[in-house]
Amino acid sequence: MQLEPVVVVFLYGLLTAVATGLGALPFVFVRSVSPRAVAYSNAIAAGLMLGASFGLVAEGSERGSVQTFLGTLLGIAFILVTQRLLGEHDLEIGQLRGAGARRMLLIVIVMTVHSFAEGVAIGSSFAGGLTLATLITAAIAVHNIPEGLAISAVLRPQGATIAACAGWSIFSSLPQPLMAVPAFLFVDAFRPALPYGVGFAAGAMVFMVFVELLPEAFEHARRPAVGLLASGSLIAMILFQALL
Amino acid sequence: MDPTLTVLLYSSLAAAAAALGVLPLVGRTQVPKVWIGWANAIAGGLMLGSAHALSGAGVELGPFSVAAGALLGVAFTYGTHRVSDTEDLDLNRLADTDPTYGSKVLLTSFLHSASEGVAIGVAMVINLPFGIFVALAIAVHNIPEATVLCAVLRGRGVGLGTAAGLAMAMNSGQVLLAVTVFAVLSAAPAAVPPVIGFAVGTLVYLVLVELIPESYREAGPTTIAVLTSLTMGVLILLHGGLS
Repeated sequence: MQLEPVVVVFLYGLLTAVATGLGALPFVFVRSVSPRAVAYSNAIAAGLMLGASFGLVAEGSERGSVQTFLGTLLGIAFILVTQRLLGEHDLEIGQLRGAGARRMLLIVIVMTVHSFAEGVAIGSSFAGGLTLATLITAAIAVHNIPEGLAISAVLRPQGATIAACAGWSIFSSLPQPLMAVPAFLFVDAFRPALPYGVGFAAGAMVFMVFVELLPEAFEHARRPAVGLLASGSLIAMILFQALL
Repeated sequence: MDPTLTVLLYSSLAAAAAALGVLPLVGRTQVPKVWIGWANAIAGGLMLGSAHALSGAGVELGPFSVAAGALLGVAFTYGTHRVSDTEDLDLNRLADTDPTYGSKVLLTSFLHSASEGVAIGVAMVINLPFGIFVALAIAVHNIPEATVLCAVLRGRGVGLGTAAGLAMAMNSGQVLLAVTVFAVLSAAPAAVPPVIGFAVGTLVYLVLVELIPESYREAGPTTIAVLTSLTMGVLILLHGGLS
């Protein structure tokens, strides 16, 4: 059976989205939700997101440092505005209120928005042939797992179930199949936007790390613990991206 | 000019830049607390930007050695903090005049800048223009860092000139390590990737445990996040524009 190329692109994107859900798996074994466990999880998420932004910025700079930087500014502004908007309402997600709920919502928003750039990367990679597209899709799929881990690290300690962690992780990657298709169809139009996109994602992630994850982590855990967990997961993420 | 002299010149320049950190204290005995937070965030952003540039250069040479070196750098810094009992030390206590506190702050700041000497030295081995870029980034970052140190020193009744001199002296290890690391790695190039990793690991860990935690209390998370991510972004932009 021969599939339409557009369907193949969509399925490839869907595969990477589902892979994000695997990041929830380690949390099957994590039950404790003490404030310190939340702090440790946030420190790990901070390291993973900083590491991911290192990789994104490097990729963006190859295509245009100024565009990447402008994207970064937009990403920072985006989180500032989103945070303001969320802060004005008394948030309630399930039984959660306030800061925890805001952090959960923010990380899902940040990761979802950042998936747009990855979807464009998948779609436009088909222009280089099916082999290249398969390679890039596999790389993005594997790379999504620690992103799911970062999301689950914030959601799980707040009491979210494993299914909810996996579900929100997959949700955050749904822009990948959705963006892959138009990027594949209009590859020439999308390519110049890519450095803006990855810069935006990197700016949003770094800002999120410093405005939400680290302050929370330092509040409930000692500095060396936060430092060791965050720098350890940052190093792991750098290694991981270098090998893909 | 002989490359070793280039390393000596630029690392000395970086150390000397610390003297400029005293400028915000001219004409006043103390700076507002929020300035201390800003200074930490700007210094931290420049260090993270340098770590990004170094790790980018490193993973091309050998990702595993870089990662191993980075873990070693983190472990080393963790170890020095532990041994010197400075793990949870607030480095920004402007009104603390306890002698032990003073010596701990000076020790921490000496070790901090010595680690950055490793970053300058190894960047110079990768290639001189890149090394000069990292040295200048560290030089600029030394200024806000010295402002924080000088504010602590001024709080203890130290004069302006002495504060500036001490700030430079605390960076002398940076010159020594930059030149030594450059000389040794030029003779043993196989050790470059793990040493790059070591520099990245120490830079990241120092930002996380020394610069950022206190600054949240001084300037608030939003300001800290804006300043850190912006300075980091600007440094990466400059690096991308030069390479």
